[in-house]
Amino acid sequence: MELAGVGAAPGIAVGPAWRYAATDAGRARPVLDLRAAAELASAELMTLAGKVRAGGRDDDAEILEAQSLMALDPLLLEAIAARVAATAAGPDQPIDRAAALAIIVEEVAASTADGLASIPDEVLAARAADVRDVGARIARIITGRVIALPDEASIAIADDLPPSVAAEIPDGLLLGVALERGSATSHAAILARGLGIPAVVGVRGLLAAAGSDGTPPRVALDGEAGRVIFAPSAEELTRLATVREEREAAGSVARELRGQPGRTADGHHIGLLANIGRVEDAGRALEAGAEGVGLFRTEFLFVGRGTAPSEDEQVTAYRAVLTAFGERPVVFRLLDVGGDKPLPYLRLAAESNPFLGIRGVRLAREHRAVLLAQLRAIARAGAGGAGPRVMAPMVATLEDVQLFRAMVDEALAELDGAGIERAARLQLGIMIEVPSAALMAPELARRVDFFSIGSNDLTQYVLAMDRTHPELAAAADALHPAVLRAIRATVDGARAGGIQVAVCGELAGDPIGSLVLAGLGIHELSMDAGRLDAVRFELRRRTSAELRALATAALAAGSAEEVRALVR
Amino acid sequence: MHNPSGLHARPAAAFVRAACTFQSDIRVANLTTGSDPVTAKSIIGVLGLGVQRGHRIGLLIDGADEGPAAEALRALVEAGLGEGEAEAEPGVTRPS
Repeated sequence: MELAGVGAAPGIAVGPAWRYAATDAGRARPVLDLRAAAELASAELMTLAGKVRAGGRDDDAEILEAQSLMALDPLLLEAIAARVAATAAGPDQPIDRAAALAIIVEEVAASTADGLASIPDEVLAARAADVRDVGARIARIITGRVIALPDEASIAIADDLPPSVAAEIPDGLLLGVALERGSATSHAAILARGLGIPAVVGVRGLLAAAGSDGTPPRVALDGEAGRVIFAPSAEELTRLATVREEREAAGSVARELRGQPGRTADGHHIGLLANIGRVEDAGRALEAGAEGVGLFRTEFLFVGRGTAPSEDEQVTAYRAVLTAFGERPVVFRLLDVGGDKPLPYLRLAAESNPFLGIRGVRLAREHRAVLLAQLRAIARAGAGGAGPRVMAPMVATLEDVQLFRAMVDEALAELDGAGIERAARLQLGIMIEVPSAALMAPELARRVDFFSIGSNDLTQYVLAMDRTHPELAAAADALHPAVLRAIRATVDGARAGGIQVAVCGELAGDPIGSLVLAGLGIHELSMDAGRLDAVRFELRRRTSAELRALATAALAAGSAEEVRALVR
Repeated sequence: MHNPSGLHARPAAAFVRAACTFQSDIRVANLTTGSDPVTAKSIIGVLGLGVQRGHRIGLLIDGADEGPAAEALRALVEAGLGEGEAEAEPGVTRPS
């Protein structure tokens, strides 16, 4: 049987399934004293932190060290004690008393965690999971239940795999991770990438398929394709082995190409840049051989806080990225938020359809001061450099460009008026992600320095399909010929205006998509740093004439499936 | 708070560990969000303040060793709670 999930860490692994669950087998002596159990849990977590740190995984060690403090947290222990005192005297059997206390511990930990998770802050949501996990550990110590760790190299099958449990698995015994829940950013996925083992997350039906008892089934994982195969057949295993060999061969060639610019077999240059969302991503992008930053999402500075970031704080962050990339281009995207991701200090009105509401550059009408401060910060960060590029999201009309330009002029004039050092000029671009902008490309191209196609939103708006809709997501394919024709119109418009066009959506990092885009005349592809090797490798295998022929055939296709079938 | 990640994970742990070495009752509040004060000896409480870079925090310290506690915690926060230059990604400099 085969289940589909989301590939969260690459690789192929085959092995027996190991279910993470507390068991009565090998039961330890129950510890009925809450304080003693908490101290034991804290000590265990500290030991695990030391082990993980010795293995060079500092980030995981920090989580475990913080959890070691959580186990002895006075607020948590007082809340548990209060619940125990409020509960009528329980049964006299020690095991039952242990079970009752363990339930209280887990419940209080869960409600404490919910309290943390309710604070709008992604990082705190992860800490909330850590609190629940600490509660589960104290509860296990109280009842004497233990986690049966794998005794042979296995594939972990779980709802979610907390870092503290993963850390207990002896080195080398974890071959891969499959999770019923979780996302590509969940801790187990990051851990798997760190260990170099495959992970598939968000696999619906995984736990039911794995069964709860009996001999553990053999499982095969494909971390690229996001597939989990139970009891794979001999043919299936042979096929996976072949895929693995091919990928390893391609991967080693791709790695050798690192540091070289993107180009086709006949030497036509296609810029390969990285999308980044935090200052910390710059190092990873440089390591992967990015020729610059094609999309610097600046929202990280603005979300999850009560007030807008100060101009100085922004200058520091922007300058860090500009310094890291030196001569290489960095494209800043102006704050891109709307009614679906509200910021408390912007007080965006609730809208019945935020995707067609006030978002992106449209914020300039009501929240000009915030965007002006951002533009000043970018200009200041670029002082003495090659001139940063800035682009406005959600441009639909020529008036939007006028608005954007007027804001830039005002921001620069303010800096000059105050005698503050700034970049001599900013190169101004716009995102092409609204159909009207693709259709007006020739007129827009005369008014800006560059275009960057946001293929994700362009796909949603061209096809009128929400990419996160469970029933529409598969059909909302950026390779649909309608989307490609909008891209073609954009390229034609840019050519008439003598400006360059980049693509910074997921399509740019899709190996098939990158070939079609290069064939359509796109100059730069900007993607997640992890996609650069594969795209660089694919482009080198084709000549520009082959890519142009591919693009012509793709434009004439009737569906996204037909386009994909062209590259096989 | 001027360290990059405010009072998250490791900086919070460093802060709480330091607070736990004093006998005094130490309470901390996020002045920027106007939170109620919590005991500085609780990592869950401190995380729950949601202190981010640029936020201001206030400390209420009462007890036998309140002087040294105030001095030590102020120095720790001003030193960036262990998050300094060395924490930047390779190749990324953090001009101050």
